[in-house]
Amino acid sequence: MTKIKSIAIIDDDPITVFGIKRMLSTLNVSENIKSYVNGKEAIDDFKSLMNHKAEIPEVIFLDINMPIMDGWQFLEEFITLPITHKIRINILTSSIDPADRENWKYYMTKTHHIIDYKNKPIQKKEIEEITKAA
Amino acid sequence: MENRITLVGNYGNMLRETQTSSNDYLIKQLPVSTAFVDKKLKIIHASAKWITDFDFINRDIIGLSLSELFGDISKSWKKDLNSIIKGKALLSGVENFYDSQNNEKWFEWVNVPWYDDQENIIGVIIQTKDITDTIFDDVKLEKLEILLKDKSIISKIGGWEYDAVKDKLSWCKITKKLHEVPEDFEPDLESGINFYKEGYSRNTIAMAVDNAMTKGLTWKETLKLITAKGKEISVIATGKPVFKNEKFLGLIGTFKDITDEVLTKAKTEEQERIFSSIFNSSYQFTGILDTEGTFLEINDTALQFSDLKQEDIINKKFWDAYWWPIPDMVKEGLKQVVAAAAQGEFMRSEIVVLDKNKQPIPVDFSLKPIYNEDGRVVSLLAEGRMIKEMVEARQKLKISEKKFRSLYELSPIAYILSDFETGEILDYNSSFEKATAYGKEDVANLKYSDLVPDSSKHKLINFLREVDLKGTYGPFEHMFRKKDGTTYPVLISGSLVGNKKGRKLLWSTAQDISEVRKKEKQIRDEQKLLKTLIDNLPLNVYIKDLESRKVLVNKAELKYCGFKDESEVLGKNDFDFYDEKSALISREEDLSVINSLNPILGKETISVKKDGSLTKFMSSKIPLIGPDGKASGLIGISMDISDLKQQEQELRDLINVTSIQNKQLINFAHIVSHNLRSHTANFSMLLEFLVDEKDEREQENLIKMLTEASDNLLETLDNLNEVVAISTNVNLDKKPVNLNEKIVAAEKNLAAFLKKNNAKIINKIPDDTFIKVIPAYIDSILMNFITNSVKYKDDSRDPVIKLSVCKNEHYTVLSIEDNGLGIDLNKYGEKLFGMYKTFHDNSDARGIGLYITKNQVEAMNGKIMACSEVGKGTTFNIYFNDKN
Repeated sequence: MTKIKSIAIIDDDPITVFGIKRMLSTLNVSENIKSYVNGKEAIDDFKSLMNHKAEIPEVIFLDINMPIMDGWQFLEEFITLPITHKIRINILTSSIDPADRENWKYYMTKTHHIIDYKNKPIQKKEIEEITKAA
Repeated sequence: MENRITLVGNYGNMLRETQTSSNDYLIKQLPVSTAFVDKKLKIIHASAKWITDFDFINRDIIGLSLSELFGDISKSWKKDLNSIIKGKALLSGVENFYDSQNNEKWFEWVNVPWYDDQENIIGVIIQTKDITDTIFDDVKLEKLEILLKDKSIISKIGGWEYDAVKDKLSWCKITKKLHEVPEDFEPDLESGINFYKEGYSRNTIAMAVDNAMTKGLTWKETLKLITAKGKEISVIATGKPVFKNEKFLGLIGTFKDITDEVLTKAKTEEQERIFSSIFNSSYQFTGILDTEGTFLEINDTALQFSDLKQEDIINKKFWDAYWWPIPDMVKEGLKQVVAAAAQGEFMRSEIVVLDKNKQPIPVDFSLKPIYNEDGRVVSLLAEGRMIKEMVEARQKLKISEKKFRSLYELSPIAYILSDFETGEILDYNSSFEKATAYGKEDVANLKYSDLVPDSSKHKLINFLREVDLKGTYGPFEHMFRKKDGTTYPVLISGSLVGNKKGRKLLWSTAQDISEVRKKEKQIRDEQKLLKTLIDNLPLNVYIKDLESRKVLVNKAELKYCGFKDESEVLGKNDFDFYDEKSALISREEDLSVINSLNPILGKETISVKKDGSLTKFMSSKIPLIGPDGKASGLIGISMDISDLKQQEQELRDLINVTSIQNKQLINFAHIVSHNLRSHTANFSMLLEFLVDEKDEREQENLIKMLTEASDNLLETLDNLNEVVAISTNVNLDKKPVNLNEKIVAAEKNLAAFLKKNNAKIINKIPDDTFIKVIPAYIDSILMNFITNSVKYKDDSRDPVIKLSVCKNEHYTVLSIEDNGLGIDLNKYGEKLFGMYKTFHDNSDARGIGLYITKNQVEAMNGKIMACSEVGKGTTFNIYFNDKN
């Protein structure tokens, strides 16, 4: 299994972040795992990375309900970033609101990045499937 | 002259006392021809005029006797003169003589005795007057008299004269005209006679002229002349001889053209012929009988009727004529009739005669005596007029009488015939019997007044008075009494008729109107019912005419219009009640209904009255269609749906609120599910880790995280409870609350917090501001906003919170303005009041406060609006609903 250069987890819930990190570490897919508490922190960091010509994470775990900038607002901005290669974005939410699924479908059509949608809790097996470079 | 003096001198003793010369002078001057003669008839004096008159100018006449002067004087004159001398006074006469030129002269003389002073007659004074002209005028006058005697046109009477001495015949102009000869024609006696038509006329005139000449006879004959132009005319020719001293001098005479009269006579004959033809062609049968009944004349009508000829009837007896149907039986009767007529009786009867086809024809026959001048019956005029049509008409009359009779009997109206004077009832029809139970046998005992109950007898008197005055009365409503004494209403009328004997009869009709009354009552009841129904309908009902004027309104409409009495509304139109705009719309609706005949049904309208009050109606307008198929007006029915509309609006609002709440609930459900799931997901994940974890330290760490997750779950459940509590407390009662009191309470509670943050509250709310709220919520709302304003303050300045209030239509609006961080509403507007939405990096932001506040405001039917500018501050406007 090819290693992924870097993974980002955007979630305001520390337990979720802990869980994903722990599962990813057992899978041993990447050495570089970053986490952000809301969309704004993430996007700001990504912009800074791009400014420094650094690579942005290849796989992003994205929560929807977050303060300041939620998952959808993050996506809205993210897809405007000049990233030519495909990034894999895994939306990970405990929402079962159909509106959120609609939003997912909407953003899938808006971008060349791969967007996946999973409900919490996520199993280790699922993490393995969705944690691969796009 | 000498002679005269001598003469005078001879009679000197007579004129003794006057100068002879002067006497003679005076006599000469006398204006009247006068001569004085002595007893021997010798001229003593003569006036100059006398001498001239008698043409004695060249002769000395004094002393000459009258005989010497005039030759033989007539015996009568001589006798007269002698009788004067003997004492007879005043004699006069007329004499003629021939003068020196042998002209005939006529004079009138008046002789008076000549007295001397002793009253002795000494002679005669002869006054003469030349009347030659007068005499000839007399002749002319006589002619004229002859002319005029014939009472005809003067111009057609001509005269003629025959002078026997000169044997000269003169015709006047008219005579010449009659004879159609030129004016210069000179007739003589022979030629004159020859103008008469040969035969009778010429012989007669010749004889007449001869008789006139020889025997002095006059003539007047109607004769015929043949004029010079050969025309035959009829004339009355008259002639008269003129003699003087028994000497035949000539003839004078006249002609009168009577040709026209002759023609007139011919005309009369013609008229007789015409009469005869009328007699014959008359439509009547006419015959003339002698007094014995023998036909003298019969007209053609009678002949043709029986196809007979004149000779079949004339000189035959009247009763033997063909046309009598049964001769033997009728004969005697006819003889008697003729005998009676001959005695001067006018006979007339209706008889039947047979026409030429032996068909009986009714005839109005009369026999009329004709009297002569002596009053004796000389003949009888028999006339017969065919009266077939009359008989037929009579037949028809009989039929119509029969019809009347059956109508009279069958009529549903009672007829009563009574004697007007006595009131006795003479007849009535079966309808009357049916109505009153009187029978035919009762007629004799009934009087008109018996039919009228005592209570209305006084009315009867009025009726009778009226009928006597006008000949008719009624129709009047009245009561009639039946045989059993019960009464029933009738409509009576009547008219006065006179019968042959001059008896005044009263025909009355009485229509039983008890059924009508019953029906009227029924209609009245129905009307009342309808009126009650219409009046008590919870609808406004009205009827309008074509001009949109109200002609009927029910109570509801009356009340709506704001009046108590119908009369204040009827006849008025919408312009009298509504503002112009509403009235115009209403009138347009009316017109559309009236013109199209299509009703307007269940239309929602808004009527604004003059006082500005607004009513929503569900109104229908239905055309009233008259018998001509055109609208005669319209019925309007409107239901006041203002309350209904209000309720509908409220319902709609409620649905809106409900649907919003429903959405919120779904949203809430998602939030709940999300929050619970996220915690349970954490639990399941951490527990999975824990199961596989061998490292004790790591196990402890996981347990610590599990505990954290558990705490978070509890907190989430608390928040959810709080929200659910609001949602379930929608029905909490709102109460009016003094806003400032609540603000003061909130300030007190937050005093320490405010002081710590150096916050300042500026309250501009009037003390008398009351809002209708659930008291617990207003506490929570105020706390939340004030806290937020301070919590999200701009660190560069001390927080200032301004509170103010304003009213709008349904809300009291509380404004809370701060000078805090502000929110980018473009970015976060949608989520501002969302659950668990936080917008600042404050660690104690839970994203639940505004969510709960919003829920509480909405639970009180209010709303929250926000405006904000990042770096300047935020203003929340909280709308508190003034109603429940």
